[in-house]
Amino acid sequence: MSSETYDVLIIGSGHSGGMAAKILTEYGIRCIMLNAGPVADVTHDAQRKPAYELPYRGFRPPGRIEHVYQSNGFNANVWVDEQQVPYTFEPNQPFNWVRVRLFGGRSLFWSRQSFRLSDYEFKAKSHDGFGEDWPISHADLAPYYSRVEGLFRVTGAQDGPPQLPNGNFILDDAPWTLALRHFIDAAKPRGIPVCKQRMAQGRDGLASSVNLLLPDAERTGKLTSIANAVVREITVDRNTGLPNGCNFVDRLTHREMNVKARVAVLAAGTLESTRLLLNSKLANSSGLVGRYLMDQVYGPGVLASVPEARHGNINGVMGSASIVPRFRNIGTKTDKFLRGYAFNATASTEAIPARNFAAYGAELQRKMDEYNGTGFHITIMGEVLGRYENHVRIHKDRKDAWGIPVLHVDTKYTDNEFNMAKDAVDTACELAEAAGFEILAKNDQPNPPGYSIHEVGTCRMGNDPKKSVLNKFSQSHDHRNLFVVDGAQFTSAGWQNPTMTILSLAMRASEYLAGEMMRQNI
Amino acid sequence: MRRRDFVRAVIAVGAAPEALLGQQQANPAPPPPAPVPWLLGLTEKTPIPHVEAAEQVAAGTLRFFTPQQMATLTRLSDVLVPPLGQKPGAVQAQTPMFLDFLIGSSPEERKQVYSEGLDWLDAEAKKKFNLEFAKLTDGQADALLRPWLRSWIRDHPPTEKHADFVNIAHDDIRTATVNSKEWYAAPDAGAGSQTEVELYWSPIQPDVSLEKADSASLPPHVQAEPKAAHSMPSYPR
Repeated sequence: MSSETYDVLIIGSGHSGGMAAKILTEYGIRCIMLNAGPVADVTHDAQRKPAYELPYRGFRPPGRIEHVYQSNGFNANVWVDEQQVPYTFEPNQPFNWVRVRLFGGRSLFWSRQSFRLSDYEFKAKSHDGFGEDWPISHADLAPYYSRVEGLFRVTGAQDGPPQLPNGNFILDDAPWTLALRHFIDAAKPRGIPVCKQRMAQGRDGLASSVNLLLPDAERTGKLTSIANAVVREITVDRNTGLPNGCNFVDRLTHREMNVKARVAVLAAGTLESTRLLLNSKLANSSGLVGRYLMDQVYGPGVLASVPEARHGNINGVMGSASIVPRFRNIGTKTDKFLRGYAFNATASTEAIPARNFAAYGAELQRKMDEYNGTGFHITIMGEVLGRYENHVRIHKDRKDAWGIPVLHVDTKYTDNEFNMAKDAVDTACELAEAAGFEILAKNDQPNPPGYSIHEVGTCRMGNDPKKSVLNKFSQSHDHRNLFVVDGAQFTSAGWQNPTMTILSLAMRASEYLAGEMMRQNI
Repeated sequence: MRRRDFVRAVIAVGAAPEALLGQQQANPAPPPPAPVPWLLGLTEKTPIPHVEAAEQVAAGTLRFFTPQQMATLTRLSDVLVPPLGQKPGAVQAQTPMFLDFLIGSSPEERKQVYSEGLDWLDAEAKKKFNLEFAKLTDGQADALLRPWLRSWIRDHPPTEKHADFVNIAHDDIRTATVNSKEWYAAPDAGAGSQTEVELYWSPIQPDVSLEKADSASLPPHVQAEPKAAHSMPSYPR
C-alpha cells in the first residue's frame, strides 16, 4: 500500500482533466488522475452489428437511461446508468443529466463544434445589466484559445463578426453549396450573419482527451492514473484546513481507498465536481456552490426541404454546414428576451426521417425517395440565463451504488428561454421560406434542461469572494490549493458549445498553478 | 459466461497445469482435486456450438397487451407498415410481439400511451364502422388514422391526445420493422429503409453491484452465435 504524496490530484479525465494533466506534467509536476469509470477499448468492447442482434432491436433499453435522449441500443452501455447513479428532480421540472464515466469522459463523444466566447458573453452584464461579468475578457483567454485550436485542429474560416471571434483555424475555403447560398441570400438583408462551421478535426477522426492530451502527459512519465476510482470526498489536513487528497471507492470491488496530494484539481464535469465539493463541505464560504446552474436551449428547430435537390439532384446543391452566430441584442435590442441564440444551419445529404412526413406505407416511401438528401436543418443553441434559484443540492437521504449522496437538481427555464425559442423558430421559418425551401416540420418547445450536455456554472468564477466560488484562475477563494477546471466555473453560459472555453480555461489555470507551485506559493 | 470471458478464463487457465504440477512436486501431500484438472483441454480451438436467435425460431409469450389490444396493434402495424416490394411488413417482421416485449418493459407513461391508444382506436372503429379495428378494411382504417398523422421533430412527438399515440406507435412500429432480421435480409427498398448497422458497445467492465441490481436485469442478447471460423472437428470413430 503506497503512502506517497503526489503533487497534484486530478479528478476526472475528460477535456479539462486531460488538459490539466498535460500542462502540469509537462512542467515536471507529478500528478495522479482518478477516473470513476473503466478504460474503454473499442477493439474489445465494441463491434459492428445490425440492430436485430441487439437486445431491443436498436431501441434504448427501457428504464435505465430514460433521460439520455442521445442514447440508443448501440451505445446504451457507454452512459451512466440512472439507477446505479441516480439523481432527483421534481416531476414537473425534469433535468436530462447526460453522463459518461469511461476514461476520457464525454470528450469521447461530442459534436466537435469549436467556438470561442466573445466579450458579449464575458462582459454580458456590462451589455445588458443581467448577472455578473466574468473576471476575464476574450483578450485574456485568446492566447489559450489559439493553442487549444491548434491542438484540436479546428477547421473554419476567418469570417466571424465581433460576437464570433476568429481563431487559429485550418482554413475552410470550400465554396458554399447552392442551398447555403439561398439561405445566405435570405439572411443577409435581415442583418443575420452566416459563417462557416468551426469543427475540431482532432487526429485520426477523434478529438478527445484520450488521443490529444493524455498521451502527452503519459510521455512525461509524471502521470499516474487509476480507473474505476469513484471519489467519495476530498480530504482535508486537520492542521491547515487545506485539501490534502481524497477518499475513493473502487467501482468494482467497493474497496475504500485514499490518495494524498498537495493540490486538488477538480475536473469531473460540472455537476460531479460540484457534487464532490458539496459532499466534502468545501469551498463554499459564499454559499454559492451549486447555484447558477445554466445550460443551453436545444430542441427547437425547423426541418425544411430544398426543392432543387429533389429526385437525387443533390450534387452542388446540398452538403454545406454553417453557423449563424447570435444576432439578437447585438446591434439592436429586442424587448422579448435578454441575450440570444445561434442557429446551426445544415444542408444534409442524408435521408429525411419518416417522422417528417404525415404519411404511411407506400405513400410514405414515395415521399422519402423523392425528398431523399434534400433536408435543410435549422436548429437553435440558445443562452440560458444564470439564476440563483436554478441550483443543485445534495439529496438528504438518497445515495448511489457506492453509498455516495446524490444530487437533487432544481432548475427550470423561464419566459426568457421560451420567448427566445419561439423567436428562433419564427425566424428560422421566415428564413427558410425566403430561401424558397419547403418547411416539413418545426418545433418551438425546448428539450428539458441539460439535454445540450452543456451544463455549466454552479462554481462560478469572479473577483468578489462573496459573489463567486473561484477566482479568475479557477482557484477556490477559500482554499489556495483547490482548483475547479471544468464547466462549473462558467459565469455565464453563452450560446456556444463550451468545449473550447473549458479547454482554454483548464490550460490557463494549470499554467497558473504550475507557476504558483514553482514559486512555492502553493 | 460470455464467450470472451470464457476465452479469457481459458487463457488464464492455460498456465495453470504447469503451476499445479510445480506445486505438486514441491509439496506432494495434497491429492489432486479431480482425476483431471477442470477446464483441461478448453482452448481457442474448442468448437463453438452454433445456435439460433430465439426470436427466429420460437414464439414469444404475450405479456403486456390484452389479446384484444394485440389484435388491434397487429392490424395497426399491418396498415401503417405493410409489405412493400420484397420488404416484409411489420407483421412478417414479428413487430407486434416485439412491441409487447418492449412496451411491457417500459416506464408507465409509455405503457399508458399504448394501452389507452389501442383501446381508443378499437372503440372508434366500433363507433364508426360497428366493427373491431382488427376487422377493418384498409380504407376504413385509413379514414380513422389519417386525420391524426403529423409531421414532427425528433424527441417532440405531438402532445395532442390521440395524435400522440398514432404518431409514436407509427414511429416505433416502423423502427422495429426496419431493424428486424426479416427486413435486413430482403433487398433494399429505397431511401431511409436501411437497417441500422452501427458499433455496438458491450457492457464495459460491468460493476459487481450492477450485476446484482435489478437495473441490470437485461435480457440475454438475442443474437445467434456465429458459426466458428475454424471447422468443426470430425473424429474417427
